[in-house]
Amino acid sequence: MKSRLAWLAASAAIALSLAGCGASADASGGGGDGTLEVQTGLSVDSHLMSTLKEVTGSFEKANPDIKLNLVPSSTSYEKDMKVRLASGNVPDIWWTHGWSLQRYGKFLMPLQDEPWAKNFNPALTAAMKDKSGTFYALPIDTDIAGIIYNKDVLAAAGFKPEDIKTWADFEKAASAVKAQGVTPITVSGKASGPAGNVADWIAPGAFSQDDLAKMSAGTFVADKYKTVLDLVAKWRDAGYFNQDYASATSTDMEQALAQGKAAFIFSQNSTANNALQYNPKANLGFMPVPSADGGAGYLVGGEMNAYGISKTTKNPAAAKKFLAYLAQPENESKLAKAAGSAPGLTDATSDMGTLQASYDQWMTTNKTALVPYFDRVYLPNGMWNTMVTTTDSVITKQSSPDAALGQVQSDFKSLYGQGK
Amino acid sequence: MAATLAPATRRTVPAQPVRRRRTRRRGGLINLLYLPAVLLFAVFTVYPLISGIGLSFTNWDGYSAEKALVGLKNYARLFGDDTFRMVLINTVIYGLGSTVFQQVFGLGLAMALDRPLRGRGLARAIIYLPVLVSPVIMGTMYYLLFGFNNGALNDIVVSLGMDRIAWLSSSTASIAIIVAVNTLQFVGISMIIYLAGLQSIPGEYYEASVLDGAGGWKQFTNITLPLLQPAFATSIVLNLIGGLKLFDVIKVMTGGGPGYSTNSVSTLIGVSYFDNQSAGYASAMGVVLFILIVLFTLVLNALLNRRRLEA
Repeated sequence: MKSRLAWLAASAAIALSLAGCGASADASGGGGDGTLEVQTGLSVDSHLMSTLKEVTGSFEKANPDIKLNLVPSSTSYEKDMKVRLASGNVPDIWWTHGWSLQRYGKFLMPLQDEPWAKNFNPALTAAMKDKSGTFYALPIDTDIAGIIYNKDVLAAAGFKPEDIKTWADFEKAASAVKAQGVTPITVSGKASGPAGNVADWIAPGAFSQDDLAKMSAGTFVADKYKTVLDLVAKWRDAGYFNQDYASATSTDMEQALAQGKAAFIFSQNSTANNALQYNPKANLGFMPVPSADGGAGYLVGGEMNAYGISKTTKNPAAAKKFLAYLAQPENESKLAKAAGSAPGLTDATSDMGTLQASYDQWMTTNKTALVPYFDRVYLPNGMWNTMVTTTDSVITKQSSPDAALGQVQSDFKSLYGQGK
Repeated sequence: MAATLAPATRRTVPAQPVRRRRTRRRGGLINLLYLPAVLLFAVFTVYPLISGIGLSFTNWDGYSAEKALVGLKNYARLFGDDTFRMVLINTVIYGLGSTVFQQVFGLGLAMALDRPLRGRGLARAIIYLPVLVSPVIMGTMYYLLFGFNNGALNDIVVSLGMDRIAWLSSSTASIAIIVAVNTLQFVGISMIIYLAGLQSIPGEYYEASVLDGAGGWKQFTNITLPLLQPAFATSIVLNLIGGLKLFDVIKVMTGGGPGYSTNSVSTLIGVSYFDNQSAGYASAMGVVLFILIVLFTLVLNALLNRRRLEA
């Protein structure tokens, strides 16, 4: 009898464990005890995290009935979030890092009817709103990026950013920089992103509007993407990339820029802000990306620091109240400043520090076009890694532009088909 | 002995119902004792394995609630995927390369340290020590050694008046370095297995062979190697499985790059699952890797066991 009982207990335990493995997809991570779990994408010691803590603290003081659990991020935020979404262990509020629409939209609450929505920065429309105007996250900032450059290095080479209107101009400047013994373009091959940025920056200017429409509809326009890879191969052959590319980390890139050992970085402005930590006196700016088809230059941008509310949160009213608090002009301005970016709402004020002059010049005065991140809008979900690895393989001569193009084309077809 | 005992045991059972109950109770207790292990194995090995096989027939992106059955589409895609083919070759290189080097160096070290040398205990401990270090730490240490700007090797190169070398920028060099690092880390396991094997060979065999006029090489080929067959079987299978599953060192040293060129199937599964958001496709790769390891292990076991019987 006892042994039967033992087996019964064992079976029940196994059944319970297996049931646990296939946990319901509806559960929300926090909220059960009235605490809202806010999953940030920020490291515990970042400036933005400490500012967010400060704002959160004042919100809790003003709303003693609402408690917030501000969770810092690990270094693998995207993977962590995918696992949490897959297991149904979803935070009440989370950082959407450019993916509030395409990736997280189906998990998030629509926010276009919130009182602060009228101040939504129109520059973010392409990246964050669907055709009906629905959007799913509060934008803390507007990510505006161009080619980051060290002003002193460029000046020593005899160039000003205004001189660089085409890729031919850029190459002349890069050659002049190289002649000074300085690395023209620094990229990290060790980090999983910077190589992809190079292609992501060039691509929007290589495709016409018709081509982009075809890409969105699932037809890969190979000859235009080849332009991107050919340009990368040309720069590689000209020796424009850093010699330590394969083993360089993001920190190496930032240090090289800050110390005047490199002229250009294709990256978000947060890279410039990080570089300033190594040399606060570094004279940095950003400039528009020349267009490969000979048109006007553009800046790349869209959503970066944004927070959405889970559809399944048990405290939607409290979560909306918190986002409304973040959206107040003084809080939004403070957070955008800490992020080193322009605010995501139009009633907040912009203070980008060293980069403000570039912002004023290119965005406010010259009204430079802002285009969305190419991979997020024109490539199927999951293609970012392909962009990174194929560009990386061209920079390191592991692949010819044709072979890399074949890989991009094949993954485009597979991943587009997978989403259907 | 057992044959003579069994009937007696059978005869005594009906006469002693109390003892039978005790035996049963003890059986139930034993079942309870191994239950945690069975439970853990079921939850962390059997369930993920079955679930992974199931996922390999779907188009799941790795996080959405929806997924649809796509039949054998993921497996068909594997056959036409040049990257997967390249990575499969890398995996075999990591598996076989590490195994061969670990056997050669492991056996050499075991034979050297089987002799009565001063400090051999310390030498054995030092060689075994890397086994205790996490492969991530091992990979990081060697990444720092082979780094371009601050790498110790390049500091030596520069001090010799030469230009820095980008050690990890070529896939061939990177694969060789990864195999070397993995070999260095786990050669201690082979050494210990072979040491145990060597110590189990009776000294009389060597003494008799000396009387027959056998030299060192003849002793090695006719006594040591045949009698080490069981040790070979254990060491080769362990090292091969470890090499085929290689993940951490690659992730830390090259991240699978340049391009996809140094990935193993294990690292590519991570890339496909999380980065390309193709959990179904990644699961199909996992199933193929599982089959590959099972096949390698079965074939090797069969070959080595046959040789052991012949010996």
